[in-house]
Amino acid sequence: MLETEVHDLSDDADYEASQQQGSRSIMRSDSGKRSEPEGAEVVYVKENVSVHPTQYMSERISGRLKLIKQGQSLFMSWIPYKGQNSNTRLLEKDRNLYTIRLLAFTDVRSIRRHTPAFGWQYVIVVLLSGLAFPPLYFYNGGVREFLATIRQHVFLVRSAEDESIFIVNDFQDPLQKTLSSLVQPRAVSVANAPSASISVGESPSIHNQKTDEGAFGGSSASQYIGRPRHKVHDPARDLSIQVLEKFSLVTKFARETTSQLFHENSDYFLANGRKNEQSIHDGPPKLESNNLQKVTNDVPVHDHPPKSTFNIMQNVPDEVPVPADPLEFDQLAVVWGKPRQPPLATKEWATFLDSEGRVMDAKALKKRVFYGGVEHELRKEVWPFLLGSHEYDSTYAEREYLRSVKKKDYENIKGQWQSISPEQAKRFTKFRERKGLIEKDVVRTDRTIYFYDGEDNQNVNLLHDILLTYSFYNFDLGYCQGMSDLLSPILYVMEDESEAFWCFCALMERLGPNFNRDQNGMHAQLFALSKLVEILDGPLHNYFKQNDCLNYFFCFRWILIQFKRELKYEETMRLWEVLWTHYLSEHLHLYVCIAILKRHRSKIIGEQMDFDNLLKFTNGLSGHIDLEAVLREAEALCLCAGENGAACIPPGTPPSLPTEDGLLTSQLEDEVLFSCPRKVFSHPTSRLPPGLPSKAMPALTASSVCLTSFSSPLATDRLVRRPLKRRGERIGKGNSAAEGSIVGRR
Amino acid sequence: MSYAYLFKYIIIGDTGVGKSCLLLQFTDKRFQPVHDLTIGVEFGARMITIDNKPIKLQIWDTAGQESFRSITRSYYRGAAGALLVYDITRRETFNHLASWLEDARQHANANMTIMLIGNKCDLAHRRAVSTEEGEQFAKEHGLIFMEVSAKTAQNVEEAFIKTAATIYKKIQDGVFDVSNESYGIKVGYGGIPGSSSGRDAATSQGGGCCT
Ligand SMILES: Nc1nc2c(ncn2[C@@H]2O[C@H](COP(=O)(O)OP(=O)(O)O)[C@@H](O)[C@H]2O)c(=O)[nH]1
Ligand SMILES: [Mg+2]
Repeated sequence: MLETEVHDLSDDADYEASQQQGSRSIMRSDSGKRSEPEGAEVVYVKENVSVHPTQYMSERISGRLKLIKQGQSLFMSWIPYKGQNSNTRLLEKDRNLYTIRLLAFTDVRSIRRHTPAFGWQYVIVVLLSGLAFPPLYFYNGGVREFLATIRQHVFLVRSAEDESIFIVNDFQDPLQKTLSSLVQPRAVSVANAPSASISVGESPSIHNQKTDEGAFGGSSASQYIGRPRHKVHDPARDLSIQVLEKFSLVTKFARETTSQLFHENSDYFLANGRKNEQSIHDGPPKLESNNLQKVTNDVPVHDHPPKSTFNIMQNVPDEVPVPADPLEFDQLAVVWGKPRQPPLATKEWATFLDSEGRVMDAKALKKRVFYGGVEHELRKEVWPFLLGSHEYDSTYAEREYLRSVKKKDYENIKGQWQSISPEQAKRFTKFRERKGLIEKDVVRTDRTIYFYDGEDNQNVNLLHDILLTYSFYNFDLGYCQGMSDLLSPILYVMEDESEAFWCFCALMERLGPNFNRDQNGMHAQLFALSKLVEILDGPLHNYFKQNDCLNYFFCFRWILIQFKRELKYEETMRLWEVLWTHYLSEHLHLYVCIAILKRHRSKIIGEQMDFDNLLKFTNGLSGHIDLEAVLREAEALCLCAGENGAACIPPGTPPSLPTEDGLLTSQLEDEVLFSCPRKVFSHPTSRLPPGLPSKAMPALTASSVCLTSFSSPLATDRLVRRPLKRRGERIGKGNSAAEGSIVGRR
Repeated sequence: MSYAYLFKYIIIGDTGVGKSCLLLQFTDKRFQPVHDLTIGVEFGARMITIDNKPIKLQIWDTAGQESFRSITRSYYRGAAGALLVYDITRRETFNHLASWLEDARQHANANMTIMLIGNKCDLAHRRAVSTEEGEQFAKEHGLIFMEVSAKTAQNVEEAFIKTAATIYKKIQDGVFDVSNESYGIKVGYGGIPGSSSGRDAATSQGGGCCT
C-alpha cells in the first residue's frame, strides 16, 4: 500500500506518461491518505518551509517539512498549512498541487542547495525520473540540518563538480563511480572577489562526508562558490543541466495551472498577442529616421574607430577570471521576469473605466501598464493618471472641469513672467539668467525628432514657455539642464501646453530632487544603487569597490533623465510609463540600471575597466539597450531583492515623494536631523560640504535624506494637489492670446 | 590603432560656450549647430601627430551648468590637458573663468596643461570680451591662449594640437612620470621617453582621422 503510493512518483511507466501530460502526476498528491507510515519516526521537522507558486516572492505557500524514518527507509513530506496562505488568490487546489505527501529517498536522485547572496536558502529536490519539485524555501533556516539528517540515513555525496548538489544513494550509477573517483581536492573558482579566495584544501573530500558536519557549511552568503567557467565534458554537469531543463518544465506547469489567477488579461493577450506584438517594435512610424540618426550621433561618430567606443560584443580577454554572477543560477530557478505584454490599447482601456470615467481598479491598471506599457495614441489619456495629474477616481466631468481650471492656473503663472517688462528684467538678473539658459537649451533638445525640428518650431517655443513657467511655479528649484529632456516627450504626448505643464509638474514632484543644486537627490539614488548592487551582485560590487567606482557616476545620466539619452524616443516613453506605475517598486529605475550593468558585467570585469573606461563604456551603451529584456530582468531583480532591496533605498529617495515640501531641497540644510530609522544609515551627519571626496558621499547623503522618512499615502495626495493652493502672489495677467494654443498634430 | 601616447583632455566652461561644437569640429571637422545639450559627459577621440609620433587624444566634453559641478569634478582625475572655454560674446562666461580655474587646480593634477579658449570669434560684431582681456587673463594664470571659432573651424585644430605639443614637451622635459597614469598620459607603442630622435617637440600638422 505504502510502497505503491510512494512509487507512484517514480514508476517508469508513469513517468513516461507524466512527461506527456505535463508532469501532472508527479505533482499530484493523494489526499485523504495517511501522511505518515506506521511505526515511523520523525527525525526532522522544520516549520515555515515555503513554495512560491509564481514568480512573485510575496505569493507563497508555507508548510511543514518533515523527514520520516521507517525501518531502513527515509521519507520526506511537506504539507502546507491550512488557511495560511499569504495570498487569498492561492486556492486550496494549489496547496494540494504542491503537497509532498510522502516521498521515499530511493526515488530521489539529488538535492540541490541554493545559498543566494541574500534572502533565504532553498533546496530543489530532483527525482530519479529527472523531474523536480519546486524550490522549497527555508524561511526559518535549517537547510544544513536538513541535509545532515538525510545523510545520517541515506548515502549522500556532494557532487565534486558542483558543490551545491548532493547526490542520493545511487551506487549502481556509473556517474557515481566517476564522482567517487574524484576524491582529490579540486580547484574551484571563487565568485566573491579575486582577493577572497578559498583555499583548495578546504573543499570537503568525499571520504569525510559521512561524518563531517562541516561539509555542508562550506559555502555561505559571503562565500558563494561559483560554477567553474570553462569546463571539459562532465557528466555531473550534464546531469544538472538536464535537471534544470526538467525543472523548468515543472515550474512552467505550476505557473500555467495558476495562470488564470494571475494573468487577468491572459485572454486578451492570447487574442491580440500577435497583432500587438508588432506595435511594440514599431512605435510612431515617423520617428524611425530620427532614431537612426540618434544612434549614429550617439555612438561612433566622435570616436575612431567605432570599435573603441562600442565593442560590447567583442571577446573578453581570458586572463582575467570573471567571478560568477550569484544570481545566474537563480535565473533558471525563479522565473526570470514575466513575459512582456502588448501595450494597452483603447478597447481594453475602456474596460478599466466605469460609466462615468473613473478608473475602477487603479492597481490593476498599473499592473497592466507595468507589464505592457500603453499604445501611443492612448498615452495622452493614461499618462496624467500615472503621473498623478489626474485622480484615478475622478469622473470624466470632474476631469473636464479641472482641465479648464488648471488651464487658467497655468496661464496665470505664465503671466507672471510674461508681464516682466524689459526695464524690470534689466534689474532681475536671476530671471534673465534663467530665461537665457532655457532659450539656449530648448534649441538643443530633440531637434532631430520631427516634432521639434526645423527653424522657428512652435513646439520648441512651447518647451521654452513651459520650462520658464515651471521655474516660476517652483522658483526655488528653478531650471536645470535635463529638465528639457524630461519635458520633451511629455509635450510630444500631451500635445497641449497646459496639460503638458501639469504633467511635467507632477513628474517633477517625483524627480525634482534630481536637479537640486547640491545634487542630493542624485546622490541618494546613486547610493541606493550601490547598496542594491552589493546585495544583488556582490562580486560586481567588489569590483567597483576595488576600482574606486563606487560613486556610480557612470550611471549619472541614466538616472538624471531616466534613460532618455540611452533609448530611442519611443522606447523612452515606454520605459517611463512603466516606471511611473510604481507597480513593484518606486525605484524600478535602479533595478533597470543593475539589469544593464549585469548584462555587461563580464566585459566590465574581464576588461578590468577603470572609472574612465567604465564611464566611456556606459555612455557608449546609448542606443544599444534591449529595453524589453532589460525590463524583464529589472523586474526579476526587484523581486529577488525583495524587502532587502527596499531597505537599501533611503526613505525619500527620488522618485519617492517627500513628506513635506522641500525637505530634499537645500533650504533645510541646517535643520536638525531626525534620528534615522534604518540601521543602514545610522550616522546622522551634516550635509555634504562642497568638494568633499566622492567616497565620503554615500553615508552623508543618506543621512541627510532621512529627513524625509515619514512618508504616507496621504502626503502623496496633498503634494499633487498643492500646486493649486500654494501659489505665490500673482504678478498681473499676461496676454494669453498665444498661451492656450494647441500644439499642432503630427 | 597604435599610438605613442594617449592624452586625456577635458573641456570645461559655462554651458553654451560651444564646448560640444568645438569637440565635433575637431573630431569630425564639421559644425552642427543643432545637437543635444550635454548631460554628464560625452567623449570624442582623434589621432594627431606630433614630432612624427602618433598621439591619440581622448577628449571628455562636460556639462557646464553649475549644478553638475560636483560630478564634473570627478572627471578631472587623470586629465593631461584641459580646454577652458568661454564665449567672447557673453561677458559672464568670461567672468566665471576664475571659478572654473579653481576647480581645475583643485581636482586635476598640478601639471595639467590648460588652454584658455575664447570661442565664437566669428561673431566679432557681438564681441563682449576683447582679445587683450583674454590674453591678460591667460598670462596672469599661466595658461596658453587662443581665440577660435567652432563654426568656421578657425584655430580649432591649432588649439587642440598646441595643447598636445605642450604636454608632449613636458614629457620630453621629464616633467611627468609617464608610467603614472594619473597624469592622464598612457604610453603606447614607440612612446618610450628618450627614444625619440629629436627633443624639440615640434608641432606638426593635424593628422587625419586614425584608423
Ligand atoms: N557663431 C557661433 N556659434 C557657436 C560656435 N560654437 C558654438 N556655437 C553655438 O553655441 C551653441 C552652444 O554650443 P554647444 O557646443 O552646445 O555649447 P556647450 O554647452 O558649451 O557644449 C550652439 O547652439 C551653437 O550653435 C561658434 O564658434 N560660433
Ligand atoms: Mg555641450
